[in-house]
Amino acid sequence: MSLQVLRFAALFYAGTATAYVLFFARPRHTALATVGQWLLAAAFLVHAAAIGLGCKEYGGAEFFGLRGGLVFMTWLAAGALLILQRLYRVPAIGAFVAPLILVVLLPTLFLVKPDFPEVLPEAVRRPMLTIHVVTALLGVALFAIASLVAVMYLLQEREVKGKRFGALFLRLPSLHTLDLLNQRLVRLGFVVYTIALLSGSGMAKVVWKSAWQWDPQQVSSLVIWMIYGTMVQLRHTGWHGRRFAMLTIGAFVLVVGSIATLNFLPGVTRHAGDFSGTRK
Amino acid sequence: MKGGRDLHLVGLSHKSAPVAVREKVALTTDDLKAALSSLVARSGVGEAMVVSTCNRVECYVYGESLDEARHFFLSRTIEAEGHLYAHSGPEAVRHLFRVAASLDSMVVGEPQILGQVKEAYGLAASVQTAGTFVSRLCNKAFATAKRVRNETEIARGAGSVSQVAVELVEKIFGDLKGRSVLLVGAGKMGALSAKALRDLGADRILVTNRSPERARSLARDIGATAEPWEGLTSLLAVADVVIVSTGAPTYVITRELAGQVMKARRGRSICFIDLAVPRNVDPACGQMDNVYAYDIDDLQKVVHQTHAARAEEAIRAEAIVEAEVMAFAREREARAALPVLAELRRKAEQIARTEAERTLAHLGEKLDEKGRRSVEAMAQAIVNKLLHGPTARLKEAAASGDSDLPGAAAALFGVEGQEPPRPRTPPTSPADAAAPTEPLR
Repeated sequence: MSLQVLRFAALFYAGTATAYVLFFARPRHTALATVGQWLLAAAFLVHAAAIGLGCKEYGGAEFFGLRGGLVFMTWLAAGALLILQRLYRVPAIGAFVAPLILVVLLPTLFLVKPDFPEVLPEAVRRPMLTIHVVTALLGVALFAIASLVAVMYLLQEREVKGKRFGALFLRLPSLHTLDLLNQRLVRLGFVVYTIALLSGSGMAKVVWKSAWQWDPQQVSSLVIWMIYGTMVQLRHTGWHGRRFAMLTIGAFVLVVGSIATLNFLPGVTRHAGDFSGTRK
Repeated sequence: MKGGRDLHLVGLSHKSAPVAVREKVALTTDDLKAALSSLVARSGVGEAMVVSTCNRVECYVYGESLDEARHFFLSRTIEAEGHLYAHSGPEAVRHLFRVAASLDSMVVGEPQILGQVKEAYGLAASVQTAGTFVSRLCNKAFATAKRVRNETEIARGAGSVSQVAVELVEKIFGDLKGRSVLLVGAGKMGALSAKALRDLGADRILVTNRSPERARSLARDIGATAEPWEGLTSLLAVADVVIVSTGAPTYVITRELAGQVMKARRGRSICFIDLAVPRNVDPACGQMDNVYAYDIDDLQKVVHQTHAARAEEAIRAEAIVEAEVMAFAREREARAALPVLAELRRKAEQIARTEAERTLAHLGEKLDEKGRRSVEAMAQAIVNKLLHGPTARLKEAAASGDSDLPGAAAALFGVEGQEPPRPRTPPTSPADAAAPTEPLR
């Protein structure tokens, strides 16, 4: 049931992406941006319904698997984009973020084999787990949007410095806007990710009986946290523009790389898999 | 066209006449009003409108010949002879449409001309020299211009150097609020660009020059603050946009200076716009992070690109104009067939009414009010049904430019097909004129 609703949401995302991309191609038709915004809101609501139904069906265990994680993360990304559009009114960003949401959501529509435990073990049923899952996914979603904004920055900088002033020059927002957004997204993402890290350690203490276990998931998360922390610091010492944009993209590549490695190499991490707490 | 009246145009523009001639025929608003009134007072002139801008003066006349329009110019100065162009009929219509759509402008696609044509029409309407024809013509011209603006990219891009500079700065800094502009040197073009940036919201304009007097006088002129030349480095640390146009033969902003400045700015972006020849800003500055440097050639290149792109778009715009000229001609011909139709319908309805009255008189009191109304309705229905086919066909024939059928219809049904005399009192305002009354729909 939740899958059907999710497919429906994907249709709305497809509509959103189409509207934003068309707006990007034909910026004079401003109505397209408005259509995109409304479709996005609709997609977000339908997606929320799908998640709600999923929780009813699987009791929240769903989000322990990669598939559920992606479903939830795309929803958070859509929510972030929605707020971003309301705060900054830069529909050009929709043309980059909306297609990505769709692309990430697509595999979850067909990969229906449950990759999560049937029932969540008693030991992990805590509010702290909910906080951990939501903040971790939101952090990654924010980093993803930040890296797309950084890509837009680099594209626009190439136009401005290369004295090309072509189609992209006209369609992309100003460098200042993109840089500012990038910075704010990274900063917010870092704060959220920090909460994820703390709550994650808390959970490790409960489940594994120790907050730090040298688990690969823990190590990579800490490295990523340090990188983003450094970026937030560098900002204060005047780092911005091109170098900051490249850093944002590089850091996100690391995030994706670690998610992929840890999820597809079996047995590397006990994260989200071993709740026994027996290893000693 | 029947009655021999058509649109005629005589004019001169930046393309046909030097400014020395153009300024001799240019008119003030009051002159124009008087000239328009005296134009329509002449025989053979039905309506008149004059478009007068600094680049063109054009006299449009709806009348029997273009002599009156030509006289309009020659009575002003004999020098106009040889610089005038003249068009009649569809050619004249096309010309007005092209002018309104900014296809005939010095900078193709510039937006002012449409407003100027609208003004010309408003003026003609205010002195009642623009009647039904000119109103219809102008409304079509405005619609055409709007289509061209919306459906082509003719008005896109920056058409002048200071416009390019402004667009660039906007793409770098976004909102200009809270930004400051530094003018190095007292060049005229620099001052223009600085003004344009202030109009867009830049907070502060600083001026510095080797000669403090010139800095002060320029600062007074454009409402800026003059700063001493010795403090250039610290000024550069504050300003976001730096417009450089000094007469110095070497780089005023060297790479070393830019490097120092960037350290002081802690990496905040800075944009140099170098309008000087020889250049005053080392182009190598642009290679540094968050430093943007443009010289006059870079800006000029964009202007040329814009013009080239507009020339390309102009081809599409011409096609739109062509289609609208044809549409205007078709509508006009369709209207020409309307008098025949109106007369035909008037006659038929008169017969229906007489016959219905006669029948009702015979029947007398046998019918109640409802019955009487049914008989009247029946008579009207017969007229409508009978005339439906011929009406449609006549309109069609007229629309496709066939004038034989309306004539044949007039002969067949024994009605006169002459255009009814137009009221000599034209509408009082453009809005009224925009909705011409038609004898029949």
